[in-house]
Amino acid sequence: MDMTKTHEIKAKKRDRLGSRYARRVREQGGLPAILYGHGEKPEPLTLDSKEALGHILAGEKVFRVQIDGGAGEQTVLLKDIQFDYLGTNIVHVDFARVDLNEMVEVQLPIHLRGDAKGLETAGATLLHPTSSVSVRCRVTDIMDHVDVDITDLDVGEALHASDLKLPAGVDLESDPDEVIALIQVMAEEEAEGEAVAVEGEGAEPEVISERKEESEEGEKE
Amino acid sequence: MPRMPKRVKFRKEFRRVRDRKATKGNFVAYGDFGLQSMERTWLTARQIEAGRIAAQHFLRREGKLYIRVFPDKPVSKKPLETRMGKGKADVEYWAARVKPGTMLYEISGVPEDIAQRAMVRVAMKMPVKCRFVGRRVSA
Repeated sequence: MDMTKTHEIKAKKRDRLGSRYARRVREQGGLPAILYGHGEKPEPLTLDSKEALGHILAGEKVFRVQIDGGAGEQTVLLKDIQFDYLGTNIVHVDFARVDLNEMVEVQLPIHLRGDAKGLETAGATLLHPTSSVSVRCRVTDIMDHVDVDITDLDVGEALHASDLKLPAGVDLESDPDEVIALIQVMAEEEAEGEAVAVEGEGAEPEVISERKEESEEGEKE
Repeated sequence: MPRMPKRVKFRKEFRRVRDRKATKGNFVAYGDFGLQSMERTWLTARQIEAGRIAAQHFLRREGKLYIRVFPDKPVSKKPLETRMGKGKADVEYWAARVKPGTMLYEISGVPEDIAQRAMVRVAMKMPVKCRFVGRRVSA
């Protein structure tokens, strides 16, 4: 990551806390946030919603926060994002204080590149059970995403986290056996499903409590 | 085949108060795109199955469909022209509790336009207003 591209975000201290006041902040075009870390006291902040969301939605992770009336500029790492119940709007963000040379753990999105040769087989589907990996690196080395070339991936083959080519200074924290991409020929499920439906009509699940009663009665006899 | 639990602790259940909004199971977790409920309902096992069939007929063995809801709630119903009383009626169907925001289905392994067309067909089978969504930004 090029640190010259790190954006500055202006913030104000937030004195009144709680959901009611946070909602008022949002109504006035602000975004509630919290800044913590480095053994210092957590600081509730209000960001300018339009400015902050522009950067966050673009996938940026490291910012320079200028707190109004506070002590200078602080480098922060985006740690968490809270959404509303529909997952449409960001309602709160967490920032952690960091030094530029500090080792941090971050989640990086995975971008699959190329057309896998296995996809030419009829019914073959590319599955990627995980869309991000956890890595440990210096703040200055944080990448926007991890590119994975899947051109040589054939049917039945899988790419694991350990196969990722990460630059020097970036260590994998996720499970090395975690599957990143895999090509599978999907089984025909629907025909089986419909056939069983006739047999399954009117079936009832096993009742655990009833079975206990029966066994107790049996013991008494 | 409509799904139902294999084992349950009790045969019948109270109706319970319908909760407010989804605080879990409300984002695309397994696939690339999803169908999200905008309203609350008890989604019956038959409706879930109808949605699955609609999607799989359209996808024709392409992509993977994930069903994010499971009908674990037994719903009982008294027969017609029956007087009140005489105990709780037999279980009529199984339903999944769906709140506004609940992710119903997810699809992976197909382009966005195909996924959207499949989800439109699934949404036709749903008793609630739904919307097509993608993965959300993460920290």
